[in-house]
Amino acid sequence: MEVGILSYGIYIPFYRLKAESIAQIWGKQASDIQNSLGVREKSVAGLDEDSVTLAYEASIRALKNYHLPASSIEAIFVGSESHPYAVNPTSTILGEFLGVGHNYLATDLQFACKAATTAMISVAGLISAKIIKSGLIVGTDCAQAKPHDILEYTAASAAAAVILGKNSADSLAKIIDVASVSSDTPDFWRRDGVRFPSHGGRFTGEPAYFYHVELVSQNIFKKTGLKPRNFKYCVFHMPNGKFPRIVAGRLGFTPAQLAPSLIIDHIGNPYSASSLLGLSKVLDIANKDDLILLVSYGSGAGSDAVVLKVLRRNDHSKKEKFIDIVNRKKYINYVEYLKFGQKI
Amino acid sequence: MNVQVLGGLTSNFGELWDTSPRSLVRETCYQLFKNTSLPKSKIDAVLVANMLSSSLGNQDHLGAFFAEELGLNVPAVKVEAACASGGMAVHLAVLSILSGQYKNVLVVGVEKMTDYKPELVNKALMGAGSEGEREAGATFSSLYALMATKYMAEYKTKEEELAQVAVKNHYHASLSSHAQFKNQITIDAVLKSPMIATPLKILDCSPISDGAAALILSSDNKNSKVSIVASQSGSDSLSLSQRENLTSLKAAVISSRNAYKQAGITPEDIDVAEVHDCFTIAEIIAMEDLGFFKKGEAAKNIFAKKTWLGFGRPVVNTSGGLKAAGHPVGATGVKQVVEIFHQLNQTAGKKQVRNARIGLTHNVGGSGGTCVIHILKRN
Amino acid sequence: MLSPVKIWRNQKKVKSLLNLEGKILSYTKVYVPPAGFEQQAPYVVAIAELVGGIKVIAQLIEWQDKNLKIGQKILTVLRRTKDPGLEGIIPYGIKFKPVD
Repeated sequence: MEVGILSYGIYIPFYRLKAESIAQIWGKQASDIQNSLGVREKSVAGLDEDSVTLAYEASIRALKNYHLPASSIEAIFVGSESHPYAVNPTSTILGEFLGVGHNYLATDLQFACKAATTAMISVAGLISAKIIKSGLIVGTDCAQAKPHDILEYTAASAAAAVILGKNSADSLAKIIDVASVSSDTPDFWRRDGVRFPSHGGRFTGEPAYFYHVELVSQNIFKKTGLKPRNFKYCVFHMPNGKFPRIVAGRLGFTPAQLAPSLIIDHIGNPYSASSLLGLSKVLDIANKDDLILLVSYGSGAGSDAVVLKVLRRNDHSKKEKFIDIVNRKKYINYVEYLKFGQKI
Repeated sequence: MNVQVLGGLTSNFGELWDTSPRSLVRETCYQLFKNTSLPKSKIDAVLVANMLSSSLGNQDHLGAFFAEELGLNVPAVKVEAACASGGMAVHLAVLSILSGQYKNVLVVGVEKMTDYKPELVNKALMGAGSEGEREAGATFSSLYALMATKYMAEYKTKEEELAQVAVKNHYHASLSSHAQFKNQITIDAVLKSPMIATPLKILDCSPISDGAAALILSSDNKNSKVSIVASQSGSDSLSLSQRENLTSLKAAVISSRNAYKQAGITPEDIDVAEVHDCFTIAEIIAMEDLGFFKKGEAAKNIFAKKTWLGFGRPVVNTSGGLKAAGHPVGATGVKQVVEIFHQLNQTAGKKQVRNARIGLTHNVGGSGGTCVIHILKRN
Repeated sequence: MLSPVKIWRNQKKVKSLLNLEGKILSYTKVYVPPAGFEQQAPYVVAIAELVGGIKVIAQLIEWQDKNLKIGQKILTVLRRTKDPGLEGIIPYGIKFKPVD
């Protein structure tokens, strides 16, 4: 498929909540949390932010590095678990504020944390079929978690936007191949109208995350004939600090191949934005001809795999790299976190 | 021009739980008819000043509402210009008399604000501002606080100087009969009071009040001692952000200049004035807009008691202003004219300004979108 | 419930005010909010002059004490503004973010 990534942009909200601030409230030891989850702190969206505003911030950064006007975008696909409306698309609110015009295909996706990579595959398909020339995909989430639940330590907020188009000399990277696996596995879910998600505890491990990530990875290795040692970097969905490290090791990747993608160590798990943010962090430093394996995981369950080849180093303005944006932060306490969780 | 003030009366201002708008107006007007010995049948028109009847009480058509209450069939209509509703109603009454069609006009300002909790009242009051201001979560206090922040940065004014305005107006109110707050306060008490919107604290702000004030204006000058010699109004942008200058109300500057011209006088001729002190900073800015002090000098002059009863001239806000007397929005502009009437009529009792011959009222709507100025003279 | 038509009409104006740099003309920290803004209190409201001379009033967000000064540079960003209640359309508008 002759589809490339033309530009990308990310956004991480200003506020951070330390795992130890949460642990303190519930009488847990911060060190135990660090050991079991491998998370230090998470990003928290402000009271006046939501998946739309986060998506907007990431998208304008992607557009800034894009050489064509917003009106050239012919599709907007937004993946999230926290769309502000059950009925009323995030993608068109975003499109209107971005000034894309009205001649585009828009839709919202939900598939837990893999909604954005599915958006990527879908838009790539449209471009490949020459139905459209370019499209914007966004993974955006303001993740919520039940107080005292283990997810409280990891459920974070952020957004990542990628503009895809017909592969050309201007592309940052080219999509080599994709693969997908799906099954009915109820490891993590949220019923309609209910505020906080529920999960199956340890069921979210082997039968869920590991089974699907490993299966789709083996599929893509078979499909492309590539082996782990052919890749410069690998990016896996990061529900906590341990799972991506374990699965990378099992599949035959080295810690060095995985390390640059680990946004979980900085901001926790922003659900639909997680693997795309990992990809962005890698693209910030990747060089020409580097191969990247991107594997997402969405509970319910499924996994998307995308193999990318870097065509050129991204020379975006100094202040917009992941490490710059992530360091623009302010710590809040648990009470402020609760206050911010009550959306305006 | 020939517009006489036959009489004026202000009700008690405060939290009037037992009193409805109907009874408030009926009692005030009937007492005024008695005081002026003018039979109700001689009234040719009624102008009702009010801001919040619609947004808080779902009641429109106030002209008919009070025509019913007063048992009248003459023309009656509500006048609304936010906090300048009262002054504007007086202005329109003046114009209606000057037209020659009406001889005796009753102006009654009324507001009932304590039937709703403060958050709702503050939201409704922002009907006097713009949608952009409402969307930003601005309150009236915050709009004047924005003016105060700029004014204090530009003229190096201290918070104590703002506080003195409230201290003065409470002192005047302690001599008054209708004021909501008759207690005297200190600068220290103002500075220590809870912050509303920096730098304004609760004692820098006028309260939420109920009350009514009524006036009878007439072209009949047989027995009257006080007349209106100037009635002017000016407008400016609804939104504070669109003003040319955050430390001056153009509407007040323009209307007061026109009023001085109409009356053939200068600011130095004013003996006593009622100035719209919805917030302490408002009185400071007003004294400069009205030409009493040079730009940037009002605060220190007020601090030096130049406008206190018994100390200086002009004496400002013997009623207690909005701060101490209370601010039932629609009633305020009318009450200001009533106060000046009593000063010029030598019936101001303990707050009488000696030899008061010329007085001025300054009534502002919103953050300065409307200003109405009246100048009254002892005949 | 806020009028969806008014929100829709207003959105065009919001679009034209996004991503503009400006300077604070005045500011205040609001401790006593009007109905609908209780959960946000205390917050800072400011008037800023944007490039092109447009003057706008909005909340200042993600500020530190050193940003509360006349002349502080800001950038306009997209945020939720009024409380839409449980059922209403969500209004998005402009807020100011301090920039160095």
